[in-house]
Amino acid sequence: MNLHFICNGQAVQIDVEPNARAIDVLRDVLGLTGTKEGCGRGECGACTVLLDGKPVNSCMVLAGKLEGRTVLTIEGVAGADGSLHPIQEAFLDVGAVQCGFCTPGMVLSTKALLDENDSPTIDEIEDALSGNLCRCTGYGKIVDGVLEASERLAQGTQEHGAKP
Amino acid sequence: MNVIGKKVRKVDGQELITGRAKFAGDYRFPGMVYGSVKRAGVPAGRITKIDADAARQLPGVVDVLTAADIPGPNLIGVLPPFDQPLLASDEIRYDGESVVLVIAESAEIARRAAEKVSVTINPYDPILTVDDALAPDARKIHETGNVTFTKKLIKGDAAAAFEGADVIVEGVYETSNQDHAYLEPETVCAVPGRRITLYASCQSPFHIRGHVAANLNLPASSVKVVQASTGGSFGGKDDVATEIGALACIAALRLNRPVMIAHERAESMIGSNLRHAARIRCKTGATKDGKIVARDVNVLLDGGAYASESPFVTMKTLIHAAGPYTIENLFVESTTVYTNKTYCGAFRGFGVPQVTFASESQIDELADKLGMDRLEIRRLNGLKAGDANATGQVYQQSVGLQETITKIAESVETSAPTTEDDRYLYGTGYACVAQGISNGAEGVDVTGASVQMSQDGSVLVGIGLTELGQGSRTVWAQLASAILGVSLDRVSVRLVDTDGVHDSGPTVASRSTTVGGMAVLKAAEEVKKSLVTMAGLMMKTDAENIELRDGFAILKMDDNARIPIPDVATAAYWTGFPLMNLAFSKAPDADYDHDTHQGDVYIAYNYGTHRMDVRVDKLTGQVKVLNHLAAHDVGKVINPLGLEGQIEGASLIGFGFAHMEKIRYRDGIIQNANFADYALPSIKDRIPTATIPVEDHNPTGPFGAKGAGEPPVAAAGAVFANAVSDAVGVRFERLPITREDIVEAIERGNHD
Ligand code: FES
Ligand code: FES
Repeated sequence: MNLHFICNGQAVQIDVEPNARAIDVLRDVLGLTGTKEGCGRGECGACTVLLDGKPVNSCMVLAGKLEGRTVLTIEGVAGADGSLHPIQEAFLDVGAVQCGFCTPGMVLSTKALLDENDSPTIDEIEDALSGNLCRCTGYGKIVDGVLEASERLAQGTQEHGAKP
Repeated sequence: MNVIGKKVRKVDGQELITGRAKFAGDYRFPGMVYGSVKRAGVPAGRITKIDADAARQLPGVVDVLTAADIPGPNLIGVLPPFDQPLLASDEIRYDGESVVLVIAESAEIARRAAEKVSVTINPYDPILTVDDALAPDARKIHETGNVTFTKKLIKGDAAAAFEGADVIVEGVYETSNQDHAYLEPETVCAVPGRRITLYASCQSPFHIRGHVAANLNLPASSVKVVQASTGGSFGGKDDVATEIGALACIAALRLNRPVMIAHERAESMIGSNLRHAARIRCKTGATKDGKIVARDVNVLLDGGAYASESPFVTMKTLIHAAGPYTIENLFVESTTVYTNKTYCGAFRGFGVPQVTFASESQIDELADKLGMDRLEIRRLNGLKAGDANATGQVYQQSVGLQETITKIAESVETSAPTTEDDRYLYGTGYACVAQGISNGAEGVDVTGASVQMSQDGSVLVGIGLTELGQGSRTVWAQLASAILGVSLDRVSVRLVDTDGVHDSGPTVASRSTTVGGMAVLKAAEEVKKSLVTMAGLMMKTDAENIELRDGFAILKMDDNARIPIPDVATAAYWTGFPLMNLAFSKAPDADYDHDTHQGDVYIAYNYGTHRMDVRVDKLTGQVKVLNHLAAHDVGKVINPLGLEGQIEGASLIGFGFAHMEKIRYRDGIIQNANFADYALPSIKDRIPTATIPVEDHNPTGPFGAKGAGEPPVAAAGAVFANAVSDAVGVRFERLPITREDIVEAIERGNHD
């Protein structure tokens, strides 16, 4: 089937099998291998991407569901010039990345959260990231990373007078 | 700036945070095909027939391989005689046993085709418990029998010493199988050529290279292993990476096409090693003033179908069964047995979490019997510099246990709740741990590392140990940066490629910072010699008057006399001073009696004390960890962020081990091989671990450092058990202590 959608700001038009999974379209057709597969059953969050700004497990989404919609993967989070997003900077600064396999999904779930709620409580952070498993960090530094990012984004907003 | 002890970003963080890092599953090569295996599906039996016709006929299937297609011995393992086949040819020893490999144009087709392979197995009654395995008339799982490995540690005369004990505690403690559950399932990608290249998610590339080559029936030099970015390992990506790595290479050479094999999550849980389930009978005697005089321990480990690292895990349990205490009379016997279950092997902690749970439970029981303070009894018996430990080894320094106890004692005012309430029970637990650093009794410990400087002053470190998320690359880069006086962003650490770095032995035993770091340090010192010699010539002074700092070679007596390091490096190059060095660090060989395990075993130990405060919900059994303090003697902190990350991550694995995680079998088949049914801690289960570093300088590590990756697992597991037991008022002798166990114990208590 023919599929049109916006991926990381670019219009995409591709031909795919109707029963293909979104994760395979992203990784194998578009070469966006930053999206990871940890379980293939919607249980780990490693494959999280944002669909119209909302986090979804791309292993559980059929490619057809992307039609006409907007997808953000980890490759689209940093600026076009390669400058890291404040969430990415914050994660690195606080040590929220160990093996990095859960990281793309964590960053995207965090982005979805902070786009909606610029000063989340710990409970809200835990709710937002409860579908993203991490075996390495023990999660403490991931929570720190989200808090740090929300502060930086708030400062950025004050400085620039607009939401980034 | 000297970066030792500073919070620094991971040197490889940029690639990971942007999604650009290449994990094994991210490689794409033209013409690549995919492999999937048909597994036995029964825990024990003998193959009578394999019919793969239906699989072959599926469009997209390109090849089907059985044991007969393996050019080499079709065996892998850690210690000879190797006992694990890549593909089973006759005997089936566990449910996840690989029997047939199918190669197809897509992973999906390969999987469907593998399902269509029919393997007829004449089933045996599976042997599923250690008792059944050890029964005198038990069927032999391997020709050698059902005992994988057994050893003793004998120090003093425990039997006699119990006579003099005023109190004795005895118990049997059990722990369960735990899965590594790294987020990235095992994946490899083999690319044929004049030499074959294997990109692998793995822990010990040189070990894999040897096994892959042997099973290809080719010399090791014909195989190159490149470690892809690896999404966690924790001990788990050794045997299984070898297994699928060898299979992928064999298929790739047959087909002359690149072959990828990527495990699904269920395969990762069923078809790769687990933490050994253990049953530990432990007896400890003390005098009435609390001094432990004797301990007798019998450890039985359920090793599953193959030996894997079991011999070494067995030894580790022997050596660590006494905990970090001076006990003059010890008798420990440790045995691993084969059963028809998923094989067990290395998992962060390596046997120490199991025996530490038993040991620390008994310390609490002793304290209670004696009416002593639980921390005080640990202090009284805890090792100090100059004391002989369980193997009789004496360290004159870097035995920081007492300071970890002091830090824990000082750090919180007792937080016993002031208000009684009906719904909750509160408790506090303590646990101490010691964990040996380096291969020790497990083998010779040598590491090679190279450091090279380019004329632009940038530095490249090469070492055969792997980054698995633990932050070792950052530590090595910090060491090179500190010695060579260049900023951290000028230092890179090579990916491990068996062609490009020296064999450094396995990435195990918390040895990367200590043994690996020493090799990097030495190599950097040699490059430094060239630089200071050159700078001395340029400034017309002796080399010893020069220091390297902040990107310059600086005259010590005059800070203004300085030359940029790139200029010095360029001059050194043209003068013919070498800017690259390959150095070795070799730990002293373990020197001990193999019958009694008395002697010098490890180059150092990490010591730790944890405290945990919990609130237990009487109705639901839910445990809220209010406070978790983890004090560890790490010799010297190199990167506080990395250290905290290691302690926090390891602690949650220990918490999972003690409270949530358990591989469940029914009739030899794993019932919970997915993240919906296997309770992996999520962000909602996280515990508030606070790291308290203690720095008791270790002469055998770089800048005095020693490893910290493993010990918190054991301490966190044991401290959880002690805290919950304290809250509920009942000793729990089996891990995990689930909510159901807690509710049941409370109800039983109410009825008593
Ligand atoms: S891979 Fe999609 S949720 Fe795990
Ligand atoms: S950093 Fe390894 S799984 Fe999260």
